[in-house]
Amino acid sequence: MGCSASVPEKNTTGRLGGLNPDNGGANDTKNLRVKLVLLGDSGVGKSCIVLRFVRGQFDPTSKVTVGASFLCQTIALQDSTTVKFEIWDTAGQERYAALAPLYYRGAAVAVVVYDITSPESFAKAQYWVKELQKHGSPDIVMALVGNKADLHEKREVSVQDGIDYAEKNGMFFIETSAKTADNINQLFEEIAKRLPRPSTS
Amino acid sequence: MPSDSNSSSSDSDDGNPNSNAGNIDQSLDAIENQLASITMSSRSPTTTFDEEEEVVEEEEEEEEQLLDQLRITNGSLNEKLGAEGVVDSVDDDYVESISKAESSGVIKESSSSVWRNASEADEAEAPLTPSSSGYAGERGSSSGGDEINDDDDEIGEVENDGVSGSHEWVSGKRHPNEDDASVSWRKRKKHFFMLSHSGKPIYSRYGDEHKLAGFSATLQAIISFVENGGDRVKLVRAGKHQVVFLVKGPIYLVCISCTEEPYESLKGQLELLYGQMIVILTKSINRCFEKNPKFDMTSLLGGTDAVFSSLIHSFSWNPATFLHAYSCLPLAHATRQAAGAILQDTAGSGILFALLMCKHKVISLVGAQKASLHPDDILLLSNFVMSSESFRTSESFSPICLPRYNAMAFLYAYVHYFDVDTYLILLTTSSDSFYHLKDSRIRIEAVLLKSNVLSEVQRSLVDGGMHIQDLPVDPASRPATVSSHLGQPRPAADSPGRNRDTFVGIGGPDGLWHFIYRSIYLDQYVSSEFSSPINSSRQQKRLYRAYQRLYASMHDQGSGPHKTQFRRDENYVLLCWVTQDFELYAAFDPLADKALAIKTCNRVCHWVKDVENEIFLLGASPFSW
Repeated sequence: MGCSASVPEKNTTGRLGGLNPDNGGANDTKNLRVKLVLLGDSGVGKSCIVLRFVRGQFDPTSKVTVGASFLCQTIALQDSTTVKFEIWDTAGQERYAALAPLYYRGAAVAVVVYDITSPESFAKAQYWVKELQKHGSPDIVMALVGNKADLHEKREVSVQDGIDYAEKNGMFFIETSAKTADNINQLFEEIAKRLPRPSTS
Repeated sequence: MPSDSNSSSSDSDDGNPNSNAGNIDQSLDAIENQLASITMSSRSPTTTFDEEEEVVEEEEEEEEQLLDQLRITNGSLNEKLGAEGVVDSVDDDYVESISKAESSGVIKESSSSVWRNASEADEAEAPLTPSSSGYAGERGSSSGGDEINDDDDEIGEVENDGVSGSHEWVSGKRHPNEDDASVSWRKRKKHFFMLSHSGKPIYSRYGDEHKLAGFSATLQAIISFVENGGDRVKLVRAGKHQVVFLVKGPIYLVCISCTEEPYESLKGQLELLYGQMIVILTKSINRCFEKNPKFDMTSLLGGTDAVFSSLIHSFSWNPATFLHAYSCLPLAHATRQAAGAILQDTAGSGILFALLMCKHKVISLVGAQKASLHPDDILLLSNFVMSSESFRTSESFSPICLPRYNAMAFLYAYVHYFDVDTYLILLTTSSDSFYHLKDSRIRIEAVLLKSNVLSEVQRSLVDGGMHIQDLPVDPASRPATVSSHLGQPRPAADSPGRNRDTFVGIGGPDGLWHFIYRSIYLDQYVSSEFSSPINSSRQQKRLYRAYQRLYASMHDQGSGPHKTQFRRDENYVLLCWVTQDFELYAAFDPLADKALAIKTCNRVCHWVKDVENEIFLLGASPFSW
């Protein structure tokens, strides 16, 4: 599945450093590889966002993630660079919270997701942002994502609250709907644009 | 075939000279109908029924009332001693009809039950058959009736959920809106609860845990009341209900059941339920209770309803749950060796266990040196993986605990599905070896594809394992040239097999219907494929329950262990044979001849020996059992 074949050829030596394929993620100027982790409360739609992005699918039956799922997707940017996302889709359940560092350690990108119909999940998102600020990589790119934007009639977290919190914490903010595919690709493209590029020698 | 002349007696009883499976079924139905009509005329259902109704109605009332009922029920049972089996069956079906009707009023309940009473005659198994002269154990006489209806219970619910067939069984919490005040909740036949020593609910099979706080507190009160007296409560019987308690440190487990399963079986199920919780959280959960006795565990188990309900479901279809052994997918020896070799290659490098599984059956497994995997851990691990849908979506890396290996610590499991049924689990102690495990999986996958293991696995799924129709004729007389491969004699033996059926009537030779062979050294078992007349999943469940009872009675600490048991009731002849090397459980036509049945069991054992390298995983791994 996904990117299985492409991983083993490269960097077999630099593989010992944990769940990170290599240090920092960037390989060369034109082809970036980045580790991305999704965090957020259970049921906010992390897996749905990933599956929409990677496979273009949406499955309305909720499948609780166990531990973390690993998926890859490569996108091409307009400046002809490609970015390969190695995505850790973590489980939102409380019992996995203590294990989150395992997955976000060394991540170049963290996508913190909440559900716009659930203020609790917005509070949980703030918890994850604080945790990442404390223990994540210092130069981590963070995105705050309000998912389930299609359920605007049930909205309980205003767009402005999201924007304000993101701005305060130097994050990129976007509202998405995995169900309608709204803003999903934009989310990842926007992240790709914000990635620090390796300096051309 | 030497047994043909002997088995002709059952043939004439069946009145079915045809080998056609459909006809066989019909003839069986005809017999059942006949027997049922005998039952009808030999009982007075209305009087016994009313007495039983009370028990069902008030099952979860105050303790005093329970005691009252206990007396009432005992009294009534004594009065109608002989009719016990019949009464049970009527009552169970009553429960079922109510749970299907859900929330119907009292009047409706009684009318529907009366209706069931009459129509039940079509389905009811007779409590006595002309041939039930054999041994009937303490539960033997009542075993038949209640089991059928218990089957109905589960299957009925599955149908309510809009899915039919046990394999399409819907996982997850069922009837979450119920609580202990709901009539439907009270009518459920088998409840499982987990609660904390402070009485906080942790898990309930039916209903919302939070709404069951009061009920949980009651259970806790019973347990601690007895504990305060310096004693321990293990089992409470109230009428048809058994309440089984298991205390595991700060966690209490309770099963309330009217399925007539033996205490030891229910206790074993509670042990597995506890084990499943350990798989998810490890035993270090106890520390949370040391810090805070009122700790609420429910949130830590969020999203795991499907894992528990699938385990509970497997109590009624997976013999591994009571045999404490695992089963292998039947495969040609060379195929399994190829799979084992590649797993072995990878196992050295930081991988503790590598398991290649197809559904709940093992294709191959290897462990690092001196590490051994308990069959119960295999059961709990495969249940966890199969019931968690997200593993099917993409490769995953998840903390997991093997309670029998080390209940205190997490291992890390890399899980990958090769196809819908076949998956690989690589277990390691190192939390950051995902990429290493992923690479290992890619290597394993390449070899499996190259050596056609995955396609052989699919073929085995279609072909199945041991079919009783293929039971070889006397092994001594069989030409040495005939290979003992499971797959090969199938087509060849098919036509003689069918001919044999003509004489035998139904099932395999000499009235053999089904068997389970458990190898003690290997900790593995093989179960024959189901065939007529054990076709429906409820018949299969009933047979498993009968085996389960047999297992419990053979391993009874008080009176056992026993070496052989021959038991005849209205449903089967059950034969159990325990030696140092194996345990054999076999079910025959209830009219089967005892001497022939014993002879057939010998043939089964020879057969298993002949094909053991296809049905078992032999010596491939450095296990030290």
